[in-house]
Amino acid sequence: MAAVKRLKRVAAAQPGFISFKSSAGSDDLNSGQRKRVNKNKKKNWNKHSDIQDVEEFLDDVRLQERATGGLISEKPDDSLFFVDIGEQRKYVQPEVQEGKKGKKSKSRPLRIDLILQHDSLVPPPKDILAHQQPNAKKLRRIAENAAKLAAMGVLPRRQKRLLNRRPAITASKSKTAANNFPDRPYYDLWGGDAKETADPYYLEQTGKKRVKRPEKLNSKPSVLPAVEVIAPGGSYNPDFFSHQALLLEAHEVEVKRERAELRIERQLAVNRDDTATEETVFQELVEGLVEEEEDEDEEEEDVSIRGGLQQEKKTEKERRRERADKIKSQQKQAARVFTDKKQQLFQLRSIQATLKRGEQQTRERVAQRKANQEAEKSMPRRLGRLRFQAQDLEVQLSDEIPGSLRTLKPEGSVLKDRFKSMQKRNMIEPRERAKFKRRHKVKYVEKRAFREIT
Amino acid sequence: MGGLQKKKYERGSATNYITRNKARKKLQLSLADFRRLCILKGIYPHEPKHKKKVNKGSTAPRTFYLFKDIRFLLHEPIVRKFREYKVFVRKLRKAYGKAEWTGVERLRDNKPGYKLDHIIKERYPTFIDALRDIDDALSMCFLFSTFARTGKCHVQTITLCRRLTVEWMNYVVTSRSLRKVFLSIKGIYYQAEVLGQLITWLVPYQFAHDHPTDVDYRVMATFTEMYTTLFGFINFRLYQTLNLVYPPKLDSKAESELKAEHEEDYAMDSESYLEKLSALSASLARVVATAEEEENQLDLFPTEGEDQENMQAREKEQKEQEAQKRLFEGLKFFLNREVPRESLAFILRCFGAEVSWDKSLCIGGTYEVTDETITHQIVDRPDMDKQYINRYYIQPQWVFDSVNAQMRLPVEDYFLGTTLPPHLSPFVEEKDGDYVPPEKLKLMALQRGEKPVQEDEEEEDEEEEEEDDDEEEDDDVDDEELTEEKNLKKLEGTRAQGKTLAVKVTPGKVKPWETGSVGNKVRLEQEEKAEEKRLAIMMMKKKEKYLYDKIMFGKKRTTREVSLTIGVKNGESPKGDKYSLTARLMDR
Repeated sequence: MAAVKRLKRVAAAQPGFISFKSSAGSDDLNSGQRKRVNKNKKKNWNKHSDIQDVEEFLDDVRLQERATGGLISEKPDDSLFFVDIGEQRKYVQPEVQEGKKGKKSKSRPLRIDLILQHDSLVPPPKDILAHQQPNAKKLRRIAENAAKLAAMGVLPRRQKRLLNRRPAITASKSKTAANNFPDRPYYDLWGGDAKETADPYYLEQTGKKRVKRPEKLNSKPSVLPAVEVIAPGGSYNPDFFSHQALLLEAHEVEVKRERAELRIERQLAVNRDDTATEETVFQELVEGLVEEEEDEDEEEEDVSIRGGLQQEKKTEKERRRERADKIKSQQKQAARVFTDKKQQLFQLRSIQATLKRGEQQTRERVAQRKANQEAEKSMPRRLGRLRFQAQDLEVQLSDEIPGSLRTLKPEGSVLKDRFKSMQKRNMIEPRERAKFKRRHKVKYVEKRAFREIT
Repeated sequence: MGGLQKKKYERGSATNYITRNKARKKLQLSLADFRRLCILKGIYPHEPKHKKKVNKGSTAPRTFYLFKDIRFLLHEPIVRKFREYKVFVRKLRKAYGKAEWTGVERLRDNKPGYKLDHIIKERYPTFIDALRDIDDALSMCFLFSTFARTGKCHVQTITLCRRLTVEWMNYVVTSRSLRKVFLSIKGIYYQAEVLGQLITWLVPYQFAHDHPTDVDYRVMATFTEMYTTLFGFINFRLYQTLNLVYPPKLDSKAESELKAEHEEDYAMDSESYLEKLSALSASLARVVATAEEEENQLDLFPTEGEDQENMQAREKEQKEQEAQKRLFEGLKFFLNREVPRESLAFILRCFGAEVSWDKSLCIGGTYEVTDETITHQIVDRPDMDKQYINRYYIQPQWVFDSVNAQMRLPVEDYFLGTTLPPHLSPFVEEKDGDYVPPEKLKLMALQRGEKPVQEDEEEEDEEEEEEDDDEEEDDDVDDEELTEEKNLKKLEGTRAQGKTLAVKVTPGKVKPWETGSVGNKVRLEQEEKAEEKRLAIMMMKKKEKYLYDKIMFGKKRTTREVSLTIGVKNGESPKGDKYSLTARLMDR
């Protein structure tokens, strides 16, 4: 306690110190009985020494510094005191009140800003490092070295690595324009290939490597050309005979179609024999009344079958004879084969001829099959539910042929031609338009306004 | 005998194929997306050899894909984009339903898109591969670029197709690679030789569309999406080979010339440049400004024997080609309003001619009708009021025929108002023994450098005695053909008239005797017939009945459609036309 008091005294004894707070009551607090504590231990010193007054003093010093910018005791008297000479009449300009509250409030800073404002008068500590540089000498040496290397053209490692880094892909982040954007840019797609620098294994494992397109996919599904030129008869001003040839072709298509229609009609026609006549009607009425007997044959058959099943046992003699017969026939057969073989020597020519014929036949068949396969390549395949149906031939009749280009009336549609061409080349399967199915019945209601009129 | 029993359909062709629906489920895509993906990746359905085995014993017709193809599709990054798009649509619909407009806007901004570049690269590893497959792309783009902007497909697609086709035409003009043209009733066929590849494409006539109903527009649009991407890259590369600026720019000289006074009358600012490019009347800017294309000469190597002959032949061929490229060089054409401007300008420019047209027809005309230096004016009307004496007035077919003949044909046959010689297809190559049209024979003679037939006849008069026997025969054949042709034409004419008479139908009148007993008989007969038919239908087997119902339904539908189209097509029913065709043909 004594130390505390001493400290206090020291603080108070500072020359000319004026405290903000009055320290009158401090003696009263310590007036209780003293506690004896050994002061030979640091712990006890820390615990039992009273440093409150020192702290209060220091706090006070800080407060003074904060509030006034220095110790009050050191301030000159002029700044602390003034001579009161009564009320000084000063013309106070009345603030021009605009009357608008909003404007006034705008000119005044917000309270929250005022609170947050730095109000201490203690200047912030100066940054020493702003003026000094640690290791300045070393750094200077390093910089000099780097300049020398740069002059020689050697890049530092950091920069080298930066340069070696692959550019970040920014294009993917940007919005991809639609493919049919009219002013879209194009570039040289087949230009010099950028070599993949990354590890192929890495690319493969991370799914960044594109899967190779199978070679088979590059073959076209049909051998037909993309644009089939119309026959010469389809010219706008055709030669007579080629035009006739085209007409004939169209005619054949039409005849085929008509024949198919006729066939269906024929199949649907009523057969005269199937219609009921008086006789058949009578027969129908009488059916089942007249009986016929046809059971006798069946009985006979039954007897014969039964007889066949019951066979008598063969005697030893019979068996012997059978065996001999068998051997004899076998011998006969063998002799026959032998002579036949002998005879074949003389048949050599005819045998060769048959062989040749056979070979010829197989060769022909192979050729035929090959030809069929070739022809099939250009045929439309069956790719779905529907078969490919060629579009109608574009034909202009003899009296439709225009005299000049101006009066030409185009036949058919190019769009349909392209579409059918793709179907024909097996690129798309023939389809029909999806039918519209109405789920609920449409209810017709007469509008009231309309009903009123009628 | 140990081991498990082999199960059916667990190996062999049954496992090599997969049905479309299964493939779709494996990829987790809707049918439309699956179809789109297959088109983009170039994966087509496949017909198995043994359908029953593949179909696990069933014979129902199905669409099959190769299993390996579908497994390949699984690796495609676009699949994920499709799924993202599906989710995007769902979210958008929800936002719409809740009327969250900010949400709709946000979603719209983040609409997922995809690129096809890698697919193109994958499908066509080299530039030549792509060039070989460009026929389809060209035809499709030309077709789409002629569509009206009516919402059958995206307007953007149409604009893009137009841009690409204009670029292509400009390339063909600059490289002078057009070889053949054929005006057919369907459209115009062109053939060009680009980097050694023969490329054929079909361009529809302008304003020739009625949109057919049985074409799947979605499928076509998908194809177009793929083809536009491919086509753009090809164009870029082609422009590079010619040292041209891409996207194409007009020559600075030409650009200043083309500055019309009332440009805004033709097109909006954004479109006027494309319009000017599509006018084809000006040349394009090059990356390196060169005065003229240097002629690339064939390298000469000292050779002997057969090689030398080959070399000579090749040289000759090249010379011919060069000559063909300069077919119309030095000529100045003027196109009248009634001729198809674009195709004619394209062809004429391809062979080095100068071309212009009326100011009211299109942007980009470089000189007026009154220009005295015009050598040819292309006209397609029976008569002209005001004619200049120092120019030929010819019909458009002259241009096409001259291109196909690889020489300037005599203009006399194509004068204003004359009946044109037939327009022959340049795509036919006659073999020995095939029929060769007489016009073609004449043309071949002209190409060989002989004089036209009429002059021949005059010569014949002079030197009748000296004529050889076979020549006479030839002439006879020619004559015969000519007369035959005439006769046939005449016959045709009379027949056509006769037919019109025969087919004519007068409105029927009710005869008084029909209402009497005879009429009763007729009616009774009809009733009997109807009854018979009804009974026949009743007696039909179930299978046949089903078929019959189907047929009848189809018939009804066709009649309905026909009646619909009558409304559209000024009462000209397609089916009726076909029938009349058969009727007429049967007469023959």
